Amino acid sequence: MSTVLHPGPAPSAKQLILNGIFAENPVFRLALSLCPAVAVTNTVLNGLLLGVAVLCVQVLSSVTVTLARGLIHPRVRIPVYTIIIAVWVSAIDMTLAAFTPALYAQVGLYVKLIVAFAIIISRLEVFASRQPLVPTFFDGLGMGLGFLIALLTIGAFRELLGSGSFAGIPLAPGKPLLFFALPAGGFFSIALLMAFFNWVERRRGGGRATPVKSAGGHGV
Amino acid sequence: MSLNIIQPRPKLGRAEIARIVVSMVVACLVGAAVLGLVYLGTDRYRRASAEATEREAVRDMLGLEAGAHLLEVRQYLEPARRLVIYRAAPFGEPAAEAREVTFTLDGAVAGQRALPAATPVPETLQPLGRLFVAARDGRAAGFVVEGETRGYKSRIRVFIAMKPDFEIADMRVVEQEDDPGLGAEVVQPWFREQFVGRTPEEIDRLTVTKDPIPEDWKAALVALARRAPDGPARHRELLQRERRKPIYAVTGATISSRAVTEGVRRTVDHFRRRWWLLAPQLEGVL
Repeated sequence: MSTVLHPGPAPSAKQLILNGIFAENPVFRLALSLCPAVAVTNTVLNGLLLGVAVLCVQVLSSVTVTLARGLIHPRVRIPVYTIIIAVWVSAIDMTLAAFTPALYAQVGLYVKLIVAFAIIISRLEVFASRQPLVPTFFDGLGMGLGFLIALLTIGAFRELLGSGSFAGIPLAPGKPLLFFALPAGGFFSIALLMAFFNWVERRRGGGRATPVKSAGGHGV
Repeated sequence: MSLNIIQPRPKLGRAEIARIVVSMVVACLVGAAVLGLVYLGTDRYRRASAEATEREAVRDMLGLEAGAHLLEVRQYLEPARRLVIYRAAPFGEPAAEAREVTFTLDGAVAGQRALPAATPVPETLQPLGRLFVAARDGRAAGFVVEGETRGYKSRIRVFIAMKPDFEIADMRVVEQEDDPGLGAEVVQPWFREQFVGRTPEEIDRLTVTKDPIPEDWKAALVALARRAPDGPARHRELLQRERRKPIYAVTGATISSRAVTEGVRRTVDHFRRRWWLLAPQLEGVL
């Protein structure tokens, strides 16, 4: 068995998870789902909440697709994937609304948007629809973790610079660089962190930067 | 290189089309079933927590201590018999007995009776809204009235707290679906605090302006909303200047601002007229 993206021997669970976090990080390497990555990351906490929600939806949807892949007609696979994602997102939405209303009041709007996240549907199409259960689970987990870590990093960066605090705890007086808390600052933060990621990658890879695999550019 | 990049697709046979349809239908049915189950499993908790939030908001708006007596009055319309029905029961105590008061449409009392706890609401009744009455020593000590108005996109639901003389004590937008960044900005504390302290006569004449709000007035309203120690004093001082002026609309949300103002105006007006009729009938349950 080999993945479609990387022909070769079957990747281990650890490889798949690390792949999601570093080599194919959804935000920093694949540049997918940048809109939510900008929209919610003005604080660490928001990033964390949406990241966890995406992690759950990614794993659940990937597992559902790999289990049902024999039953999904190839001609209508994309609509069916969308239904699967929408079902899990709605289920999580209802659960959050029922058990954590305070949290839901903050992230409710964004949770519904997960249905349209490019990263999730692209993993279903590229990976889950062609791979058995176990690697799919770890791919979903890795991608979800990669997204979560990216949102946390961006959130920490922006909150620290924009509001002078971390997870709501004030560290510096006033607002050092308010610009970073504003939407435009989100794009700059992502660019700066992406550059940093590339720099680390280049040093680790002995001067050879892995080309960013664009998965079609702009999804939500 | 051929220009004909788009390959003509093989024509679908009937059997293939049937398989596609079945595949989609099954996916939708399974999805709907899963959602149905999750809904059944979570709805009870969602409603309980929504009710708890509501109770907290009502107490908070009236500045009530946790043990204060609070009456919930639900209003219904019975279209067939042309009756308006009020059901009053202690708020948040499902085991308590309720009182039902019935009016004809022209405001005459048609009847009054005690309702055993958990009497179901007949399907023929159309809910018209709710109000909450705080009681102290058998007299109304404050009201929170639920009002509804049409926003830019969907309905906007507000809670309006009033003192016994109907002066506005607080206002909150509890539900709205207008655009984030535009209409949704009417939930901003400074916007809603503009209503506080105005008398019902002033509310009745209230208009909305697109003029920018004076900085000192906005700061006082924010301080009031944040419960700053000097908030009420600053607010009282500036209210003397501002109470004859219109409500300042939220920039980019003029329609929603007008909708909320109109909703407050109408709700206060209706409530005052209803309360004069209703209050004598609630003696003994307050």
